[in-house]
Amino acid sequence: MQDSLVEAIKQWTYKGIPENPSAWLFKVAKNKALNIVNREKYKRQYSSDVIHYMRSEWTAVPALDHFFSEEEILDDQLRMMFTCCHPSISSDSQVALTLKTLCGFSIPEIAKAFLTTEENIKKRLVRARQKIREDNIPFEVPQGKYLENRLGAVLETIYLLFNEGYSASKGNDLVRYELCEEAIRLTEIIAAQKSLQNKSNVYAILALMYLNACRFKARTGAHGRILTMAEQDRSLWNRSLMKNGFYYLEKSTVHKNLSIYHILAAISAQHCAAPDFESTDWKAILSLYDSLAQIDSSPVVLLNRAIALAKVAGASQALDELEKIKNNPAMASYHLFYSTKAEFHIQINEFQKACDCLKKAIDLSPLEAEKDLLKEKLDSCMKK
Amino acid sequence: MLIRTEGDVWTSLSPQQLQEHIEKGTAYISKLMKDGKLKSAAPLDKGSRIVTDDNGMIKDGPFNETKEVIAGYFHIVAKDMHEAVEIAKANPIFSDIPTKIEVHLMKAIGG
Repeated sequence: MQDSLVEAIKQWTYKGIPENPSAWLFKVAKNKALNIVNREKYKRQYSSDVIHYMRSEWTAVPALDHFFSEEEILDDQLRMMFTCCHPSISSDSQVALTLKTLCGFSIPEIAKAFLTTEENIKKRLVRARQKIREDNIPFEVPQGKYLENRLGAVLETIYLLFNEGYSASKGNDLVRYELCEEAIRLTEIIAAQKSLQNKSNVYAILALMYLNACRFKARTGAHGRILTMAEQDRSLWNRSLMKNGFYYLEKSTVHKNLSIYHILAAISAQHCAAPDFESTDWKAILSLYDSLAQIDSSPVVLLNRAIALAKVAGASQALDELEKIKNNPAMASYHLFYSTKAEFHIQINEFQKACDCLKKAIDLSPLEAEKDLLKEKLDSCMKK
Repeated sequence: MLIRTEGDVWTSLSPQQLQEHIEKGTAYISKLMKDGKLKSAAPLDKGSRIVTDDNGMIKDGPFNETKEVIAGYFHIVAKDMHEAVEIAKANPIFSDIPTKIEVHLMKAIGG
């Protein structure tokens, strides 16, 4: 571990410190040394249920540390995640359980990730634990070929972990770097796992994460103000991370796999490749959303597609699309649905309707920082 | 040292190269979508899809359009709400509403 840290420092010295040294590139380079610290941090958050179910795993940890065959997962955190994702319970329950017990997610955070109520998530977790108890489901560390059929749920968990870091649902900061770092770190380990045959989705999710992370530095402006893509200073976009993203995007195209990760990565790539906001290829992005909607017609996908549609065909058509999804319960409490709708109304000068939508968005926004900033802005408006 | 993978052999990334990579990615997606449609008997590998079937729950995700292009509401509010209120004030139809809107909104945010 000492060696890899020294090696990292050598590389930076030789190649020169990249543009954002204090950002997380350097942190990632120190990851091997920090693994132990991370493990300790997550251990403290484990719920007592998991400790009970995984008792054999815990007592066997010293023994497991001696296994270094390529069938084994080399990272404790990741090993635990694969173990927790047991195929006897539904995929969504696996993900919810893993987020709760191993990723430190609270019930409200999981509810936001699934666009549902805390009640629903609580019920789901209770049912999952019940099934585990009743069916006496054993928690054993999967190896070799058994990794493959749990990979889907593990990747979904990582995806939602990254999402929480990309656009936080609580706390003071919109972007929570440490969650994104962790998501990338875990996925890099999976990518290096020799016993996995088909890594297309792994590469795709890595591409997706790098192609979004490269813009992080540009997303917050003075006083923590959140900057839209149109406002972001593109010279602050991290080219190194972007390169990694494009590299993994390429690698992901080798098998006949197609997932939401591939398509979202391609969409983010479109944004990354545009020299400025005005040059964004919205037709290409819309086309990608069209493909995505065929695989996954969830209202969240259709909401985002509507934004691309507005750019290509105008806000009125986009509003028509929103009509189709507005009655979905997931949209009724999604603040981004209302902020999107408000934007479309503003574009066609329907200000009263925009105000109504914005008020709903404010009510529903989970982030205190957004509310504070709003108060400030409105205060200064009122004084004028 | 995880991030220092083969990606580093790419020493430059010109706009043209970016475009090429994007085109490759897009072509790959289009082809698979077409193949998936034509061979309806052999749909895309279910394991690789995130489908919202009857039991599947809707999930949030790092979607760029809602979260970065529009980015919540307060950006709009900061710039256009003021405008929106001013425009509403100027419109005779809303003669008594503007004050109500402002008060209403202030209440909504607990002001």
